[in-house]
Amino acid sequence: MRLELRRLLVRPLAWVLAALTLAELAWRFVLLLGNFLGVQIKLAALPGGPGFTDMVAVPLLSSLLTGGIVPFGLTELAIVVVPLLTMSTLAGERGSGTLHLLLATGTPAWSMVLGKYLAICIWMALWLGLVLLMPLALAHGTHLDWGKLAAATIGMMALLAMLTAIGVACSAYASHPAVAATASLLLALGLLMVNLGAQTAGVANGVIDWLALGTHLEALLRGLVTSADLVWFALVIAVALILATWRLGTERRRG
Amino acid sequence: MLIADAPPLLQLTQVGRRRGGRPAVSGLDLAVCSGEVVGLLGINGAGKSTTLSMMAGALAPDHGRITLDGKDFVEHPELARHLVGWLPERAPVWPELTVLEHLHAHGRLRGLAGAGLRVASDRVLEQLELQALGRRLAGALSQGQRQRLGLACALLHGPSLLVLDEPASALDPVQVASLRSLIRAQAAAGTAVILSTHVLAEVTTVCDRVAIMHGGVLRHDGPVGSSGQAGLERTFFDIAMRGPPAAAPGTTV
Repeated sequence: MRLELRRLLVRPLAWVLAALTLAELAWRFVLLLGNFLGVQIKLAALPGGPGFTDMVAVPLLSSLLTGGIVPFGLTELAIVVVPLLTMSTLAGERGSGTLHLLLATGTPAWSMVLGKYLAICIWMALWLGLVLLMPLALAHGTHLDWGKLAAATIGMMALLAMLTAIGVACSAYASHPAVAATASLLLALGLLMVNLGAQTAGVANGVIDWLALGTHLEALLRGLVTSADLVWFALVIAVALILATWRLGTERRRG
Repeated sequence: MLIADAPPLLQLTQVGRRRGGRPAVSGLDLAVCSGEVVGLLGINGAGKSTTLSMMAGALAPDHGRITLDGKDFVEHPELARHLVGWLPERAPVWPELTVLEHLHAHGRLRGLAGAGLRVASDRVLEQLELQALGRRLAGALSQGQRQRLGLACALLHGPSLLVLDEPASALDPVQVASLRSLIRAQAAAGTAVILSTHVLAEVTTVCDRVAIMHGGVLRHDGPVGSSGQAGLERTFFDIAMRGPPAAAPGTTV
């Protein structure tokens, strides 16, 4: 993990992505805040109406699920950014020959996969923390719904951890980082949109809805933390990491 | 210093491995003892790098058995952590890490830590004359410097078996001479060294024994003879041109 984290922190890609995404999210935050300030007086008249958390803090994290006035929230950016950060974890090492060097140290496959996964998760947590600083900076001057924000934070961390696990798994199977990034992006989009057709047709399908990322993330973003949703994220993470470990475990046999 | 009576440190028995859908190595029997320097020769595609990857624990054989220090190497890949040092072809590096960070990362992967790791890093930096490059990014090193860094990483933990795939490529004549002294010093300290090379003079200078592969099969295995480089050249070209059938150890057919 230490090696992967060090490599991640000295690579310009991680910093460039962080700078660009934080700039975009800061712009989104300012627009959401302006919109909120414009309707604040009207909202104050409504008993139980949406507040700062509903109109600024949570929409900053996702626009696809909660609506918003500018296109990309953290969720949408993560779907693009995470594959770019995970693509080289194993596919890049394989291409440069350093993966065989790691295998020759007798390091177990699970240890390599977990180390790389946790290193990127730490970067993701820092990224999420920096994004959350924006609404938290106004906590003293507005009324923050801490419970709702905590639930949304849990949801976002679960999402980032899940996307990272999918990215590492794709990198374990791909021969080239670009292939890993594409596969990871497509899988994430697939999970996000798997129930879109059924929803558009007005058909309620329990299994397809259960498979969809939106079903589980939306509940957390609305402030509802249920073990069923957290188990869904944990299941996807476990399956992805087990597949990555299995693939790496066969690397010595495959060559 | 060859420890002749001791059981072999590394033993390959009927080892075979396919790569890219074709047999890269077939029916390989080879034993290497502590303190012995074995030169592995063969034309490109002879199966040398595949053999070395299996000896280093990076590849598992499709069939046959490899034992290291008496234990099955496939069942116990963790043996490589302390016992094996490997310099692969073209010395792969992490370009974003410095030379010193490389050594520390390799040391930690090999179970070194703290003061032991610092002492070992300083030792190999001095041995490979890399002290001035400690803070240089590996991606900015020349091929020769990368080769020396790869060798430093392989030597860091004081392995019992050193597997070197063309270690002298990209080195200048002065560095080649010090590499040869280093290999002999390692052997004198009891390390078994397997050295793949295309330079026949290297084999006659540093090796106790020579193994020649052709078409994935071991064709010759015997001591570097008194006839020196001329004799070795004859044997090598005979095998490379005619491709005789597999030899019993110690003979050429």
